[in-house]
Amino acid sequence: MEKERTLWGEFIKGFITTNPLLVLMVGLCSSLAISTKVENCIFMGLAVIFVLTCSNIIISLIRNFIPDQIRIPIFIVVIASFVTIVDLTLKTVPAVYERLGVWIPLIVVNCIILARAEGYASSAKLMHAMMDGLGIGLGYTCVLLIMSVFRELFGTGKIVIFKRTIISLGTSKMPVILILFPGAFITFALFSALLQWYQQRRKPGTREG
Amino acid sequence: MTRNVLNLGLRLFLVCVVAAVGLGFTYSVVKNRIAEQERKQRAEAAEAVLASIEAMPQEDPDLVSSLQGDFPDLTGAFEGLDGSGETIGYAFVLKSKGYNFITMAVGVDARGRVTGIKVVTNEETPGLGAAAAEKPEFLGQFEGRGPEPLALGENVDGVSSATYTSRGITNGVNMALEIWRYLSERS
Repeated sequence: MEKERTLWGEFIKGFITTNPLLVLMVGLCSSLAISTKVENCIFMGLAVIFVLTCSNIIISLIRNFIPDQIRIPIFIVVIASFVTIVDLTLKTVPAVYERLGVWIPLIVVNCIILARAEGYASSAKLMHAMMDGLGIGLGYTCVLLIMSVFRELFGTGKIVIFKRTIISLGTSKMPVILILFPGAFITFALFSALLQWYQQRRKPGTREG
Repeated sequence: MTRNVLNLGLRLFLVCVVAAVGLGFTYSVVKNRIAEQERKQRAEAAEAVLASIEAMPQEDPDLVSSLQGDFPDLTGAFEGLDGSGETIGYAFVLKSKGYNFITMAVGVDARGRVTGIKVVTNEETPGLGAAAAEKPEFLGQFEGRGPEPLALGENVDGVSSATYTSRGITNGVNMALEIWRYLSERS
């Protein structure tokens, strides 16, 4: 970790090496719950990217102003403010809000954002923090999209985005378990295992416990 | 020690003030937009459920506030007016608990019969409850029923694998019928 941190490197690491969901395994609760529909994931992803990037920027900006003892309350205030802004803005788009309404306030307790604030942004330069937020946010969104495509397609037989059927398998006799809670865990474990397998193959000889 | 506490408090306070100002500003920008959207959504639903008796819905905020004490889950009440401005029915927009919350509109005519129901928003499980909440065969069976309360399994056929949703919607219809009875006793 002694390498110089490049902006691009900070951005790209969120996809594979420190992917928040599959590697760091933070922020799972909401992702397991909403990955039943692709449509939901698009908006959830955008919301998380926005909140994460903004809170990273602000926290990086005021990092010298924050006393150590009360850093967590300050992080929470910053994060909660941005989440509330997203929440209020989305309320003007009822079609989206009706699906995501419950989960938006829960971004506050999405561990990804607090973890990035605490573990990264509070000790990083502005640009680095911003790239980190974008990268981690996009990495989160990608995994969410992959999971939801899998679950919606094989759980309901078709993918519907904005009331338009994008792909249809032509049958509704599908393993409905995929869109229920067990399906969330099974799908998540599957993709997590796939990523681990891929990473181990890429660097032969290194075995991680 | 005291100075330290003051220092910490002051900094936290400052952060909170900035956050509060930012939020207040956002709210003032979107406030009207939100209210407008919600109103539009309610009006569309009311129109849909009163279509079968060709009544024009007219929102009555006084009616809602006079009923909300007894029916806290009611979010909107409309009078259905015919061509001559006579009230020939009501449409109620209310929340009912299925697996999660279901917001639905129920139209009731002058004799206390359901003229139509429409699920406005639901947070039910996609593929199970959510599918039931959009199923025409299930929703259609409420039309013409009432004013006696309905019971799932007795005179309402639920949707299998969506018992909570079926129950939630039946309860919502019953709530609307109860409001109608309450109104007809009051007048």
